Amino acid sequence: MTGTGERKLDDIFTALADPGRRGMVDRLSVGPATVKELAEPAGMGLPSALKHLRVLEKGGIVVSTKAGRTRTYRIDPAAFGAINAWVRQRETAMNAAFDRLVLAIAENPEGEDGA
Amino acid sequence: MSAAHHSTFVVERELPTGPKHAFRFWSDPEMKQRWNACHPDWTVLEDVFEFHVGGTEARRWRTLEGHEQTFAARYFDIEPQRRIIYAFEMSFGGTRQSVSLATVEFQPAGAKTLMLYTEQLAFLGSAEDRHQRVVGTGSGFDRLVEVIASQIGLEAG
Repeated sequence: MTGTGERKLDDIFTALADPGRRGMVDRLSVGPATVKELAEPAGMGLPSALKHLRVLEKGGIVVSTKAGRTRTYRIDPAAFGAINAWVRQRETAMNAAFDRLVLAIAENPEGEDGA
Repeated sequence: MSAAHHSTFVVERELPTGPKHAFRFWSDPEMKQRWNACHPDWTVLEDVFEFHVGGTEARRWRTLEGHEQTFAARYFDIEPQRRIIYAFEMSFGGTRQSVSLATVEFQPAGAKTLMLYTEQLAFLGSAEDRHQRVVGTGSGFDRLVEVIASQIGLEAG
């Protein structure tokens, strides 16, 4: 593992070490939310929520955009591995399909129909 | 509009038959259906299978939740018993999720066949779209754990 990779993992684990932050990630996995929307259900004040969100942002788990006075957070699709999740899902699907292929070959052996 | 993300993965399988027979499980519609059909609980809305260069393979389903899921492919290269190259898109609820180039190669290995499936994909879905597909069955946090596990796996590899 590279030094950069290790640092990145450290940041990820630090980011997720706190139950309040994990709650925020859980909420954000449903869709983007503003600081206020994230603070309220967690019973946090805005400054505290913002502090936690900065840790999550440093961990590469969330990204934020600002429109006017509202900052909106979302799960980072690139750094946090939306692509990884999608690729894993594709890999899992293909592996399952090829499991069925091996089974289908076993159930339909060569020669029965001259093939 | 979000940027496309690119990735490649390879699946290697030893098939318990020779390349000629193995290939038929890709070329013959009925034989392909024996292993390629998944999600028996989805309603099939469209099913086209034209296995020739320039031919289309298209499937459209309605999921249990009422969303439309589509797969649309075009065959670009077919060399019987040796190679198939096709490109395909996958959409969910009217949004294109990914576009892929798939190369399937068959190599004889004694009485068996070594099959190599390489998929090069451009992932287009936004975080929200992805949620519908990837999270789907579990809580967001389950997904999070999975993603971390995969990330550790990738970086340790």
